[in-house]
Parts: sequence; C-alpha cells; structure tokens
Amino acid sequence: MKIDDPLVIAGRTFRSRLITGTGKYETFEVMRDAILESGCEMVTVAVRRIDFDAPGEDITSFLPEHVLLLPNTSGAATADEAVRIARLARAGGLPDWIKLEVIPDTRYLLPDPVETLRAAEILVADGFTVLPYIMPDPVLGRRLEEAGCATVMPLAAPIGTGRGLKLLEAIGIMIEQATVPVVVDAGLGAPSHAAGAMELGADAVLVNTAIALASDPVGMARGFRLGVEAGRLGYRAGVMDERTEAVATSPVAGAVPAS
Amino acid sequence: MICSVNGKEHDLEPGETVERLLERLGLQARYALVEVNREPVERSGYATRNLAEGDVVVVARPVAGG
Repeated sequence: MKIDDPLVIAGRTFRSRLITGTGKYETFEVMRDAILESGCEMVTVAVRRIDFDAPGEDITSFLPEHVLLLPNTSGAATADEAVRIARLARAGGLPDWIKLEVIPDTRYLLPDPVETLRAAEILVADGFTVLPYIMPDPVLGRRLEEAGCATVMPLAAPIGTGRGLKLLEAIGIMIEQATVPVVVDAGLGAPSHAAGAMELGADAVLVNTAIALASDPVGMARGFRLGVEAGRLGYRAGVMDERTEAVATSPVAGAVPAS
Repeated sequence: MICSVNGKEHDLEPGETVERLLERLGLQARYALVEVNREPVERSGYATRNLAEGDVVVVARPVAGG
C-alpha cells in the first residue's frame, strides 16, 4: 500500500493490511506466487509432526524472505495443547509470534473462548506476541487485550466457508472498542468481503481459502490486495451516511423538458 | 537404546544427541522443531542434548496452514 498508513502490531510495522494463510494451495510454487502478488508481509503456517516415510517438500523454502512467519496452534483443542505447540515452534527457531487458535469443535471450527484466554495469559507471560482467533465477542476481546494480546482476530464466518461478514454487527462493536488492532480472520470469500471489513474499520484481514482455492489463486491474491486497499481508503476517507430517500445528483432547476 | 520418534520405535546409539538423530533421519528441513518427553528443546541445544532409553521424541516442522 503506497499510502502512509502502516499497520503496526506489537511495534512491528507492516505496509500491507492483508495477511494470508499458506494452506490448501495446489503447489508451493503457486502459493509463493500468490503470496508475492498479494503484497502480504505475514503468512500463517501450521506445525505438524514429520512423516519420515514421506516427508515431502519443506514449505519454508518457498516462502519469500521478507515475509514474517506466523505459526498457528491448529490441532490444539485445549489451552495446554496450544501452549505446547507454541513453545515447540519457538524453541525450534520460528518467531515468537503465535496465532492462537484453540478449537474443540470439528463441525464449525469455532474457538473455545475460555481456553483461548487461559492460553493467552500463559503465552504472554512467557514472552510470546499473541494473536488470538476468536468469535467476535467484544467482552472477550477486552479480556484478551488486558491479558496482553497484540491483536484480536474475530472470525467473519466459519473457517473455509467463504460466507463473508456474517457477524458484522459484533465485529463492528469490537472495532469501536478495541485498543489493539482488529484482524478479521476466517470466512471471507471474495475481495468485496475484505473491502467491507476494512470499510467497517478493521485494521487488517487474514485470508486463506478464498485465494488458495480460486481457479486463479494469483489473480485472486491481487483481487484481495486491491479489495483491502479499497476498503481501507474508503474507511479513511469517510464513507457517506446512508439515507432512505433519494437525493438528486443533477441540478433540479433548468431541466430541458420543463414546459 | 530404544526411543520413540514420532510414534515409531528407533534403535539409537546410547546417549545419541538430537542433532545426530536428525542427521540419521536425513532431515533437510530448515526448521526442525523438537520436543523430548513433551518438553521443547532449544535449537541451539540440539548438538548437546543427549537422548536416553525410552525417551519420547517428537520432530515437527512448519507446514501449510491458515
């Protein structure tokens, strides 16, 4: 983004307000090209045991050097499991930034707020920069801020659904009240959804499936980049108030057909 | 010396280090994340961390995810 409007999380500056996930791409080459086209400067990765019988390729060799890796705690259903994953990642040399997700629910992949808060308290005390994935709950958001989280990341709709800003009202309240960046994470299916979140005042969005599973992921990455920029510009410029009745844009006086 | 590595039994040399284990496994990953008996091992300590009979080792790495 060329405008002087950086995103700052935990003292680190990002020019892009788009964060992308690395999951579901057909190949790591397409993933890399989409990341570059998106302009994002932070990408999520998961942590998994290596299958030594079929190790496959190392994703990190395909990730651009300038992009910050944000490990997630996917696979954790409790706070203790999330803390274990975070500590394993950091000890092995990954950044001490962590996307905290504690998800016991396999159908809608909704996060557990109680365990998330408990894990956040432990991880912040342990020196991590914590970005928690949550239902858009303004009260929980405040509690996570008080615990020292660097952001709050409310979901727009369940992960991978592409349904857009289904929880817009609650996200709006979070944006109004938050003192840390609000990153809308999950459920955004189209660039217009990202633009809508940014117009609402979100500080950033996190997108994965909508880009990775597009028929042209690189093109969609550009679409989301522009959607995020358009929405942010609209928010900064001030979106007009809605009215119920029409107001003419052309002069009322002097119409040619007038008798 | 039998240790469990990612759920499979491996016969290691007595006192084998984490670094030697990773070499044995032929791991080329830039980030090898290791825990022994559920405790994470600092990367800087792989060369000096000795394994013991019955240790349960997990070796993980970053993968694609959202």
